[in-house]
Amino acid sequence: MSGDDRADGGARSVGRDVPRNEDRLLLTGRALFVDDVEPTGTLHAAFVRSDWAHGRLRGVDVTAARAHPGVVAAWTAEDLGDYWAPGPLLVSPPPIERLEFHARTQVPLAKDKVRHVGEPIAVVIAESRYLAEDAAALVEVDVDPLPAVVDLEAGLEPGAPLVHDDLESNLSARVVQERGDWEAARAQADLLLARRLRYDRGAAAAIENRGIVAEWDARAGEMTIWDTTQAPIPIRNGLARMLGLSEGRVRVVAPFIGGGFGPKIMMFYPEEVVIPWAAMTLGRPVKWIEDRRENFFATTQERLQIHDAEIALSADGRILGVKDRFLHDVGAYDPYGLTVPINSQCTLLGPYDVPAYHSEFLAVFTNKTIVSPVRGAGRQHGVFVMERLLDLAARELGIDRVEIRRRNFLPPDAFPHDNNVIYQDFAPLVYDSGNYRPALEKAVERIGWKEWRRPEMRRGEGGRRRGIGIVNYVEGTGIGPYEGARVTVETGGRVRVVTGVGTQGQGHFTSFAQIAADALGVDPADVDVVTGDTREFHWGTGTFASRSMVVAGNAVHAAASKVREKAVERAAAELGVEEEAIELADGRAFVRGEPACGIGLGELAVKANPLRGAVRGGSEPGLEASGYFGPERGATASGVHACVVEVDTETMDVEIVRYLVVHDCGRIVNPAIVEGQIQGGVAMGIGNAFYEMLVHDESGQLLNASFMDYLLPTADVVPRIETAHFETPSPLNPLGVKGVGEAGAIPVAAAFAQALEDALAPIAPGLEIREIPLKPSRLWELVEAARARAGGEAP
Amino acid sequence: MRLEGEFTFHAPREAVWEALLDPAVIAQAIPGAERLDRVDEDRYEGTMKVGVGPVSGRYELRVRIEEKEPPERYSMRIDGKGALGHASGTAEVELADEDGGTRMTYVSDLAIGGRIAGVGQRMLDTVARSMTQRGLESLEREIERRTSGS
Repeated sequence: MSGDDRADGGARSVGRDVPRNEDRLLLTGRALFVDDVEPTGTLHAAFVRSDWAHGRLRGVDVTAARAHPGVVAAWTAEDLGDYWAPGPLLVSPPPIERLEFHARTQVPLAKDKVRHVGEPIAVVIAESRYLAEDAAALVEVDVDPLPAVVDLEAGLEPGAPLVHDDLESNLSARVVQERGDWEAARAQADLLLARRLRYDRGAAAAIENRGIVAEWDARAGEMTIWDTTQAPIPIRNGLARMLGLSEGRVRVVAPFIGGGFGPKIMMFYPEEVVIPWAAMTLGRPVKWIEDRRENFFATTQERLQIHDAEIALSADGRILGVKDRFLHDVGAYDPYGLTVPINSQCTLLGPYDVPAYHSEFLAVFTNKTIVSPVRGAGRQHGVFVMERLLDLAARELGIDRVEIRRRNFLPPDAFPHDNNVIYQDFAPLVYDSGNYRPALEKAVERIGWKEWRRPEMRRGEGGRRRGIGIVNYVEGTGIGPYEGARVTVETGGRVRVVTGVGTQGQGHFTSFAQIAADALGVDPADVDVVTGDTREFHWGTGTFASRSMVVAGNAVHAAASKVREKAVERAAAELGVEEEAIELADGRAFVRGEPACGIGLGELAVKANPLRGAVRGGSEPGLEASGYFGPERGATASGVHACVVEVDTETMDVEIVRYLVVHDCGRIVNPAIVEGQIQGGVAMGIGNAFYEMLVHDESGQLLNASFMDYLLPTADVVPRIETAHFETPSPLNPLGVKGVGEAGAIPVAAAFAQALEDALAPIAPGLEIREIPLKPSRLWELVEAARARAGGEAP
Repeated sequence: MRLEGEFTFHAPREAVWEALLDPAVIAQAIPGAERLDRVDEDRYEGTMKVGVGPVSGRYELRVRIEEKEPPERYSMRIDGKGALGHASGTAEVELADEDGGTRMTYVSDLAIGGRIAGVGQRMLDTVARSMTQRGLESLEREIERRTSGS
């Protein structure tokens, strides 16, 4: 195989289960996390947070806290002086006609008003976290409680309490997108189905909470910040501006991070903004590590939406059009703009041909924790709505659930397919490539769809009932604007890859290494990857939207390809042959067909950095290059989820017996990593479907802010996920990859709901699952209601 | 959080009425009460220590008696506040003669916030019910002790 093929990533390690380079550090406890950072003299911060969801802040008295032993500072909003300012609007609204958007961003410490439980009001900085917490308890907060906005519909009623007094209502945004003629589709329809569907709030619940350590070096005039952020470069740029420092004097390090899932994106959280200022003001390092209870209130969340959706179909089950109007909960502030509801709006279309689509959403401010993307980022809702409508339509029309999907797929020759709506990356939603039918047929075969027609398959032990669900999804991944990377062959022969994206467990140290390794003919184990340190690389955006492999991966490929060219050119000169004769393999450059005639890459790197003689004008020293990649638009991944559930009809406990994911994320770099992403994503989806829900009372208090009451799915309820891969390369990037980070989490609720209805149909005919998350007691209520309507008998 | 119930005291209505508004008696009766002072005719202030599951802490308590109709009924405005949370709302108490004793009917509606709501919610109802029951039982013993003159 020729070296040129390898330059395209085609040959050696890409596509193989290369063991992860990072696991040695992680498994031996030597990986650095933010909480491991504690410079000499570090002070510790504790935040005083609002116990009220909504109220006027009459006064904050920090006198007693300041007098507490070990306390160095206790500050309120006033004490921050000119530094106090609302945070930046992180994502401005996309260019959609008639769009209405009201930006209200979070503040470092609350002033005048508190808008959600857990909003920071004061900060206490002391010699230890214990002392800081003790003193924080002495801060007296005087709040005049106000009625809270909790329910989305009530929040939009005239006369509702206002989360932001200067707005006319609690409307954060209103967006309408449409294609085709919905009214005409409706008029032609043989079947119209309208349903209300609800998807509620959960926590991202990363195993590592947020944390930040800031150290100000007054002599050098430099600030170093260790931050559990998914986006160190935007954080550096923003904090430099806020602190009045040049960007080069601020270094943000996002070391190993125990899970991001979205909320650790460049939020400019209050703590993220206050801690560096505290370090600069006090001249000592300051550290804050979020505790789990804080995480429930102060780290962003997602997912409450209420959809009123209607689908129009022909008698043979073809979709003529869909109309959807939904309410989206943004929480108390909307710094992340419209990303989540736009994703919902766009993802609803799925892999189907939907000639007419009318979608409107109203985003509503509430007195709850801020909403920003959480793994799936609104796509769940779109998939849930469309798949539920298709299931109900199939039932109504007497068409098999798989068959109705087959009839509506976009055909393989439909690509690129323009959906005529604007996506979160501001570009038209155009599916780059896809082939949906084979993936569905593969899932049908692997899960044994036909066998499930047999009644004996549907009965479990002791009156338990079994059912099967199968759903499709597409996922916009790998959006721009761009990422970059620098690749260096070091003189010892190892290759160093640095890129700006942060890493939270995705296997970047391996998959990026594979890409560089294949371009340069080295072993991936000989490639050292550095991510998330702005001193190493300071161009780029961050890790989100299933984009790291697509965007940063292709940047690594671009940089490594340039280094390859340099290596080949230099080797040809050294060995006295034409460049075309040079092959790179096993860490050496040699003459093709004459492996003995060659030179090690390390030695080549030494020669590329001579101590004497002259480097030719116009050339660069070393075997090093930077490369960038920006896709013109996102790559569209797709897949099918199928599951078998078994329901205990007495307790309504549900066991997931089998779970299969057939997916297409374009070209696969490391199958084991992809499967890990899917396994983890599905686990999160299972939590979302049946275990995890944040429950608020009418005054906006979160009632289950601990893992005693908030249930995460554990190993005993998450099955081993079966997977099958299809590879439809993306034409939008040289590696042909699409993202996969969120795919596992997105369609789980839709598959789960369908399987439950299927399982319970014999005892609760007409049961419709129109809400997520469920729990046994709620499922029992729904079953009882369905049975009452059907006049059914006891199971 | 809504709490309602009934309790029968084996004492005349006037004695129960008097005890219910006597801070010294109430401080004895409320589990965890550390102090309860009458600030004026209808206002009381005190501190109490409450443990709800993992959340245990001290609360400043302010109570204002409203709509007093001796010895039949009164209502209270209650505000409790501590480092771990807050509770505020109203309570109504009614007394009626019953078989030589006094039947008390009570209903309270409190908005609970802070850590006590977020972490203690699951236990909150049970703890409140059990505290109320214990409080009323010890109030009954105190009234008995007083009326028997010991």
